[in-house]
Amino acid sequence: MNLFNRAFKNVTRRISKTVLLALTFFLIGNLVIIGLGVSNASESAKTLTRQKMRAVVTYSTDYEAIWKYADKIEDEDELNKFYENYPQVKLADVKEILKDERVKTANAISTNSWYQVEGSSLDYVHLNNEAEQNQDEMYGNSTSCYIDENGNEVCENYRYVEPKFFIKSNMFPSMIEFEDGDWTLVDGRFYNQEEIDSGKSVCLITEALAEQNGLTVGDTIVLASGYNQNYEKEVGITDEDYKVEFEIIGIYNHNNPVTPDASYYNWMSPYENPDNMILMPGSSEFMATLIATQKSYDYYAEMYPDEEYYKPENRPSFENMEKYLYLNDVTILLTDPLIVDEFVEEYAPKLAEFMKLDANNEEFNKLAKPLDTLSMYADFIVWLVVINAIVIITLVTALTLKTREYEIGVLLSIGASKFKVIAQFFIELAIVAVLGFTLSVGTGSLIAKKVGATVLEYQISTSDVGEEDEYYYDDDYYNVWDNNYNTEVSLDDLVSQYEVTVSPLIIAEIYVLGLGIVFVSVIIPSFMIMRYNPKKILMNQG
Amino acid sequence: MSEILKLENINYSYIDGGYERQILKDLSYTFEEGKFYTILGPSGSGKTTLLSIIAGLDSAKSGEIYFKGTNVNESGVFQYRRNGISIVFQQYNLISYLTAVENVLLAMSETDNELPKDRKNVAYNLLERFGIVKTKADRLVTQLSGGEQQRVAIARALSTNVDLIFADEPTGNLDTATEKEIIDIFKSLAHEYGKTIIVVTHSDAVSEMSDQRVLLKDGILEKL
Repeated sequence: MNLFNRAFKNVTRRISKTVLLALTFFLIGNLVIIGLGVSNASESAKTLTRQKMRAVVTYSTDYEAIWKYADKIEDEDELNKFYENYPQVKLADVKEILKDERVKTANAISTNSWYQVEGSSLDYVHLNNEAEQNQDEMYGNSTSCYIDENGNEVCENYRYVEPKFFIKSNMFPSMIEFEDGDWTLVDGRFYNQEEIDSGKSVCLITEALAEQNGLTVGDTIVLASGYNQNYEKEVGITDEDYKVEFEIIGIYNHNNPVTPDASYYNWMSPYENPDNMILMPGSSEFMATLIATQKSYDYYAEMYPDEEYYKPENRPSFENMEKYLYLNDVTILLTDPLIVDEFVEEYAPKLAEFMKLDANNEEFNKLAKPLDTLSMYADFIVWLVVINAIVIITLVTALTLKTREYEIGVLLSIGASKFKVIAQFFIELAIVAVLGFTLSVGTGSLIAKKVGATVLEYQISTSDVGEEDEYYYDDDYYNVWDNNYNTEVSLDDLVSQYEVTVSPLIIAEIYVLGLGIVFVSVIIPSFMIMRYNPKKILMNQG
Repeated sequence: MSEILKLENINYSYIDGGYERQILKDLSYTFEEGKFYTILGPSGSGKTTLLSIIAGLDSAKSGEIYFKGTNVNESGVFQYRRNGISIVFQQYNLISYLTAVENVLLAMSETDNELPKDRKNVAYNLLERFGIVKTKADRLVTQLSGGEQQRVAIARALSTNVDLIFADEPTGNLDTATEKEIIDIFKSLAHEYGKTIIVVTHSDAVSEMSDQRVLLKDGILEKL
């Protein structure tokens, strides 16, 4: 007859008391399940939506902080100096962050549109759309005439060349698109850190471009990073200065074919066709334009010999390349969308002044507001019920104790320790609590579903989040310029994930909470038991 | 015969109406093994108080109790109650939501004394020895008569294999025939099984059947 057995017999043989207590626990259980179910559904909807979002954080210059700082500078020279050297994205900072094992890669992207070298065997992938068919009319050579101050008509021949290739370069040896599986490497490899550090002329081309031109890994292609425009003749830049030879080290598939039913199809320029997108290290792209840039600086240095800006030490060079890459931001891809907030919280204080790390979740947080409110109310209900439950069960137990003094006296007189007596009371209550909570799982789950749906509907109707314009983007069309890696979400996305279910975890939580209630409820009666003197109890009975 | 319980200079008093009332005054006494004692005394003499103190249910203001030569205060009163003694009360003090056999098993589960493995059978046999057959043993104690309940209480007291049994007016609620039965049981326990029985009683019939009558008067015990 151990204390479990004793407790069980007390529960089963004092059935009316057990039923009343079980009913109390049943009611408590229902309320707790509603609260926990709704709260968990809200949290789970947020988590599931967040999981579907890309795990990216953006490292960028904190312009807001810069403006605030600049506002405080009263001296104009000092202000100009500050603006001349305003803080820019520092790749060294990102390299430090990349050492963290929670980081997959980073995109420090520069984009450009490059040209097909006249007479080159490399031909871009044609869309044969309206824009392409009309390009000879729209672009090419044209003559523009005007009347000069002497009244003579002056005509000049203008040359305009349409870029054919889109250059996307990164300063890190991988790209988010590949890490996330949006793009796939068909052959070869991605450029490595050594090639980035040396500015080696290596590139990856699309499978379509490779197939069209019969190119394979190891072949070379010649591209033009610019073309000789009229004003450049004076500077002395020739088409030759823009020519650059690249080795193909990889062939990839962007998995975003452009089809004629795409909304912008007819207006797309050749370089806007993702098939004509060439990937290369940011440093290689920078190096490809350096000859023409240097010539331009020579020309202006001669024209403005006193201007600091054109002096050799201030000119763009491979050494000071980072300054002239004009990177606005770096997008960092993490291993898990759910760690984004904690990651930002951890690294933000470590950044240099005027730099910021952004989880890009303002919109998400705004949309999640009704769910947060719902979750807050639900949690409040759970705590309210738990506190009330503790008070009620404590009172019931304390009152019951009075009627069980005799039993306690007997148990103590036969040598049972006070701890065992308390333990028996705990077990008795726990058995009834488990019974009540088990019964409440079914009903609580049904009620929670109804209540959860109704309350969410009410929350959304009384909040203003649904009235905001939602961002749409055309899935048919891959915008080569788009460097926004954040996943846009709508309120519908969140609401579609909202489902009140009583999971095994919630059931476990209810039992743990129930046992917690029982445990706390037994504390005060336990003090009463500890003060009991068996003689007094038994003599009083006598 | 060797001593089983020795009381040394036990004092007990309480405040009643602002005055201290001394119940036990330097009470010393030695109880021997295998004897059936009855403690007599007028109402209010402190018999029940004395029993509570020597049974470890209450504490004396001063003095020592030695059980088989060991100071009870040093060895622990809970252990003393659990393994050294058993008590039979006038009100039987059985647990109402348990059957007769379960009440016996309850006491057996609390003691650390060595008991046979097949406790349930031992409990049934013990009850049967005191006239509680199996069908009755499986009833809730509230469904038994007063005499039967007292037998259950005695069976419970014996079940833990202790050597010292206290009883407080064990026959107070019983008829004469049943009273005799109970006293016969106590006698047999003392004489056949070597147990020491200390019974507090008003009843001359009970005291006359004991081996040693002891009178509690003016706070001390005197052999009669």
